[in-house]
Amino acid sequence: MAMLDIRGLGKTFGGLHAIDDLDFHIDKDEIVSVIGPNGAGKTTFFNNITGMIKPDRGEILFENYDIVGLDPSEITRLGIARTFQNVRLFPQMTVLENVMVAQHTRTRKGAWSAIMGTPGFRKEEEEIKERAKDILGFFGTRLVGYRFDQPAYVLSYANRRRLEIARAMATQPDLLLLDEPTAGMNPRETIELTELIGRLRSERGFTIVIIEHDMKVVRDVSDRVVVLDHGTRIAQGTYDEVSSDDKVIEAYLGKTDT
Amino acid sequence: MAQAVATPPISLTTELDMRRVLTWGGYIGLTTVFVAIIGMVETFSSRSLIDPFIDLGDISLLWIPVLFGYLATHRETLEGMEAPRTGPHNLMGGAIAGLVGGGVMALFLVLFDSMQLRDIFPNASPELFELLTFGHGLGGGILVVLAAGAALGAAGGSMHLLPERIRNAVTSGLLWVFAFALLKLIIVDILEELPGTIEDLIYAIDEALRWGAAIVIFAIFFAINYIASRNKISLRARVASLPEKERTGFGLVLAFLLIGLGFALPSMLNTFFNEILATVGLFMLMGLGLNIVIGLAGLLDLGYVAFFAVGAYATAVLTSPSSPQLTATLPFIIAIPFVLLAAAAAGIFVGTPVIRMRGDYLAIVTLGFGEIARVLFLSDWLKPIFGGAQGILSIPSVAVWRWLISAALIAAALGVAWTVYKRFFHDPARQQLKLFAGSVAAAIGIGALVAASKIGVSGTFIVQGTKPRLIFYAIFFFAVIAAFVSWRLQDSRIGRAWMAMREDEQVAEAMGINTTTAKLMAFITGAVLASFGGALFAAKIGAVFPSSFALIVSIIVLVIIIVGGMGNIPGVALGALMLVGILGGPTQPGLLREFEGFKLLIYGALLIYMMLARPEGLLPSSRRVQELHQEEFEQDAWLKSKEAVSEEGS
Repeated sequence: MAMLDIRGLGKTFGGLHAIDDLDFHIDKDEIVSVIGPNGAGKTTFFNNITGMIKPDRGEILFENYDIVGLDPSEITRLGIARTFQNVRLFPQMTVLENVMVAQHTRTRKGAWSAIMGTPGFRKEEEEIKERAKDILGFFGTRLVGYRFDQPAYVLSYANRRRLEIARAMATQPDLLLLDEPTAGMNPRETIELTELIGRLRSERGFTIVIIEHDMKVVRDVSDRVVVLDHGTRIAQGTYDEVSSDDKVIEAYLGKTDT
Repeated sequence: MAQAVATPPISLTTELDMRRVLTWGGYIGLTTVFVAIIGMVETFSSRSLIDPFIDLGDISLLWIPVLFGYLATHRETLEGMEAPRTGPHNLMGGAIAGLVGGGVMALFLVLFDSMQLRDIFPNASPELFELLTFGHGLGGGILVVLAAGAALGAAGGSMHLLPERIRNAVTSGLLWVFAFALLKLIIVDILEELPGTIEDLIYAIDEALRWGAAIVIFAIFFAINYIASRNKISLRARVASLPEKERTGFGLVLAFLLIGLGFALPSMLNTFFNEILATVGLFMLMGLGLNIVIGLAGLLDLGYVAFFAVGAYATAVLTSPSSPQLTATLPFIIAIPFVLLAAAAAGIFVGTPVIRMRGDYLAIVTLGFGEIARVLFLSDWLKPIFGGAQGILSIPSVAVWRWLISAALIAAALGVAWTVYKRFFHDPARQQLKLFAGSVAAAIGIGALVAASKIGVSGTFIVQGTKPRLIFYAIFFFAVIAAFVSWRLQDSRIGRAWMAMREDEQVAEAMGINTTTAKLMAFITGAVLASFGGALFAAKIGAVFPSSFALIVSIIVLVIIIVGGMGNIPGVALGALMLVGILGGPTQPGLLREFEGFKLLIYGALLIYMMLARPEGLLPSSRRVQELHQEEFEQDAWLKSKEAVSEEGS
């Protein structure tokens, strides 16, 4: 049974069909790449799933539960987390705080117990902090130690992308949506991140949808590739199947006169 | 091959940015003319600062060419860049700027002499002309003004020639002399408590500092600053580089010390200063509340006075025997929970419609709500409940059971002792702070016990509004609670959610934060803290009128948190002390009654200056930025500890 099952999704901006009758599904423990030329509707697709932009038509079943119309925070609580194409951290908050705040839906102590400093509150704070440190430890030595207390804005570009993934992990999702995680990284960092995406599944058990432009990354990480163009799915299959598909080549390179 | 680059000789033409110098010269002229024409010089000239030659009127003019003359050739040194070279061009630039400023002033004097300026500017009196020309008539006056401008500008420019350490020490010494001269009243009041007649040595009879004392004060603070700046790293940076436990311990002791001082200070001061302190406490309380709404949650609320008004009116309605509709006449302490409920309801009432708004729109709408609250309390419609323009009179003073105060004092003392014991004496690693923390705790404990024994346990204790010292204690108590609540909340789940919302609301929502709830929580917390202030305000004055809740209250609270340091509790406290304490609240007087007429002007100028030069405020909220080397060191230490752990494991 599919973890996420999307049927007939549609979103129109003015006269532009950003998403047009799109079907999509992903099974548990799968890594699916979504590719397509610029303006194909990939990011709108993510925005629709996470509720940041409500779709006009269609249904999105997450674990058999229709999540269309829910607030983004509720969708996050149900177990979908995302990163952003143009990194959007909380810049003035520290690295640790960025990861701690993302555990909001998994914790419950309110203002009153915080003011009183109840033992339950302290225990929960300690757990939040430990979990955040554990998650940041997933990225090797890059985001740990003295980095914990640095504000996010001082981080390098690649580290900001890593921190965004850490923040998404901290919401404890089942499904992780990564929007161009390697954009702007150098080749070595890209290789490192490719490996990391594999570890996200094997060590942490996330099911992953990834939007990616770097075809090497797509080839290395994905079980299945879905190609979008003009908001519809034009092809899907393994990387090799998709990369030799005529429609895909046409979408990327334009129609050839034969 | 590396070749030594020859340093070109300093030449006036290459080093002097003429455009900048002339611009600053223009600023000198315009600012001095402005200060003169709004009547500052004349009003202030009656206040003598240093006996017998310098008065506040002189200072209000003279600081301008000196500071601007300094700025005329000032250049920011960017990180990693070579510091700009200093030399005669600094002196020259300052002098030219001063001369240009003097020229503008001279032009003004010509105008003054030839036209009836007084028709337009009522302050342009013959006495002012006399002051500005130093009594030399038009011709002589112009010469004097030009010469003085050039000399003072050059003096400002010459500050560049001093090494930075000496320059800072000189500035510090001058500012302290100015502060001692200006704050004569309060300093004398404190010194009178001490044995001996030290105040007579420092001050002459007519409010002015003796010139000998001025020199001594300058020398003392020059020396202190010079010696203290020997260490390159500031005290603040050194505290920040302590390990986290030490740092919070240090902060805790400092907080206890300040709270202790807050309770000890009023008994050293007379009624007038206690009145000022009470006003400061009131605005501190509101500043802390607004700091949660704006500083933490990032919701620009310009109608904050509404919650203050709700607190005051709820108290009035519930406690006053002459409240028109409801004569419940509850004691203050029983009314307080209901006041808080009313404030929380008001928070929800204002918060709900503006949930979907951000930034400027939110600011405008809340501004409207603030005015709506005042108009409603004024309206005929609600007159049967709130009394319209007549307000509600004869609100009784705060009455608290004596046993409750005594119990609270002893509980607080025990709490301090317990915290200090747990933090410092349990842990053998805290040797450095142990003695200091212990003595602070002991002092606070003894103070609390003495106070409790004076208060006793039977009957009620009445905090009369006519006794500012008692009122101050009540306000300070609530301000400490507000600070405590803010401190606890900012490092909690809800506090982090607020900060995330401030940084990026959409992403916060995507990370699972229900922004609707978080915003309402911020409004409610802010409203409750403001209502404390309102309740005490009502009990202090003994009457509430709609006119007390004008827009200016919201604005002043906002200026306090901007100038003090948004998002930082000590910053807010400092902002309230500096602004309300020295300049005064919207209708309340401050320490410097001379500034009464120019209060709002100074508030505005300060706000603009802070936004341009130091938008993070006087005491910025430290995001724990540490020294670079410290970071590397800690990273190494962390890696080593990791290795040690993994070796143990294997």
